[in-house]
Amino acid sequence: MTDADDRRKQQEERRHPSEKDETAMPRRAHDSSRVRAAIRSELEEVAEQTEHRATRERVAANRVISLESIYLAFDEPILENVSFDACEGETIVVVGESGTGKSTILKLILRLLVPDQGRVSIDGEEITHLTFDDALKVRQKMGMVFQGAALFDSMTVYENVAYPLREHTTLTEDEIEARVREKLDFVDLEADRVIDQLPSELSGGMKKRVGIARGLANNPEIMLYDEPTSGLDPLTTATITYLIIKLQRELGVTSVVVSHDIRSAFRMASKIALLANKRIGFFGSPEEMTGSDDPYLREFLGGF
Amino acid sequence: MILERFNDAAKRTVYSLQDFFVLAGKAVGFIFVKPFYASDAVQQMDAIGVGSLGIVLLTGFFTGMVLALQSSVQLKTFGATDYIGSLISGSMIRELGPVLAGLMVAGRVGSGIAAQLGSMRVTEQIDALNTLGTDPIKKLVTPRVLAALIMLPVLTVINDFIGILGGNVIASFYLGKPSSLYWKTVFEQILNGGFTLRFIPNDFIQGLIKPFVFGGIISLVACFYGLNTTGGTEGVGVSTTRTVVTASIMILVTDYFLTQIILAIFQQ
Repeated sequence: MTDADDRRKQQEERRHPSEKDETAMPRRAHDSSRVRAAIRSELEEVAEQTEHRATRERVAANRVISLESIYLAFDEPILENVSFDACEGETIVVVGESGTGKSTILKLILRLLVPDQGRVSIDGEEITHLTFDDALKVRQKMGMVFQGAALFDSMTVYENVAYPLREHTTLTEDEIEARVREKLDFVDLEADRVIDQLPSELSGGMKKRVGIARGLANNPEIMLYDEPTSGLDPLTTATITYLIIKLQRELGVTSVVVSHDIRSAFRMASKIALLANKRIGFFGSPEEMTGSDDPYLREFLGGF
Repeated sequence: MILERFNDAAKRTVYSLQDFFVLAGKAVGFIFVKPFYASDAVQQMDAIGVGSLGIVLLTGFFTGMVLALQSSVQLKTFGATDYIGSLISGSMIRELGPVLAGLMVAGRVGSGIAAQLGSMRVTEQIDALNTLGTDPIKKLVTPRVLAALIMLPVLTVINDFIGILGGNVIASFYLGKPSSLYWKTVFEQILNGGFTLRFIPNDFIQGLIKPFVFGGIISLVACFYGLNTTGGTEGVGVSTTRTVVTASIMILVTDYFLTQIILAIFQQ
């Protein structure tokens, strides 16, 4: 036997010391092997459960907006069994025919409306039964861009963008001005030129951009857009779409966009939710949508 | 069918009244809750008070003059034109000053508030306030109500004085009465009305409680209709008209009941 063979044998013995014992005391060895197998199996099961729970928690923690089985009716049903989630950093575009309740979804997320049935959760916290004051606090996590921008007529651009900062922060006037300029710069507006203008002096596209800057002022984790490109020329539409994409990429903001503009939707969406017959008819990536054989979907997409 | 319609209309009215009183309660309650929008309140005081000064001055002056003119015809038949100051003072301070100021402000300010809040509603600015974490009642309604509660009595005092001055002009130039006699009868009327807490003339109490109540009515009715505007720009027009009509009627009806109550309490 060579030295090398000796070393190999010693290594073998170190690696499987039990086997040595097994030869020495066969019955005891058999029992301990069963115990070890049971322990190993138990440990594997626990590890699997822990991993599974961690994955579930990770997914749940990632879920920034969650709508579960929403039913809402005024005189007649508007939404029936509507469910979808928006995870961190995702842009969900809600599309559908006019009057199908797309904007209602935004109002539910903002808790301006309360569903008759179902749950709306933000960051895992159910907001459906919050008091009015608590709902105001949850809304501070969100920025909203309205269809017509909804800038305050009586305030200048500066005052509009500074409004949420003055309301909810203790920033000094210098810090507020710096933040306002930063946000106006982010939406590609020349701060010096527009800061003292009234909303009535701005074009439609500029109003939308100031609306986005106001929504962003408080650095929200969620941005909601109601028809951000409606009524705009193709060039301005492209600019606004680019801004929404830029927001997602640079700031990782989770967004829900209600839109008619399917071309822009495909450019900005992580996932698309199609609202049809008061329900979510499709929820998936733009690629999945174009690949679908569903007749309604094909008809909705038309020549796209 | 008719019963069903009546039932629906009754339900709607009850719900509206409930909403109105909830709004009123919140608006007044928020005066004592932080954050208080003091700069908005001052801005509204300027809009309601200073902005309405011109119209109140004109109305008061001409009302005082026409009241003196009409009264002089009746007083002449009794040979009592010396007491014209007394008549003008009593009418202006107790009734005409508060009611006319109230009606003028309802027309000018009430319609303005309803139109402004209505426009904000239809252009989603109210929703924007909500989404920015601001309570629209606290931000928009409370400052307007507070401003109206403070400024309407101020405007009424000015209206009273200018009305009495208008009467003085007619008494001097039309009836040939000296100003000293006119103002003597004015003060006699105030003193004869009696005092509360020994030094507050009852006429003043009556003349200041009324505009305070009218200020609340005008601002709350205007805010209520403004915030509940539906139907786009046409809806804004409807809200404005409803505000002026409702506030004016409420002022006149409330005036009667307030007079009854105040007379029962202060005029023994």
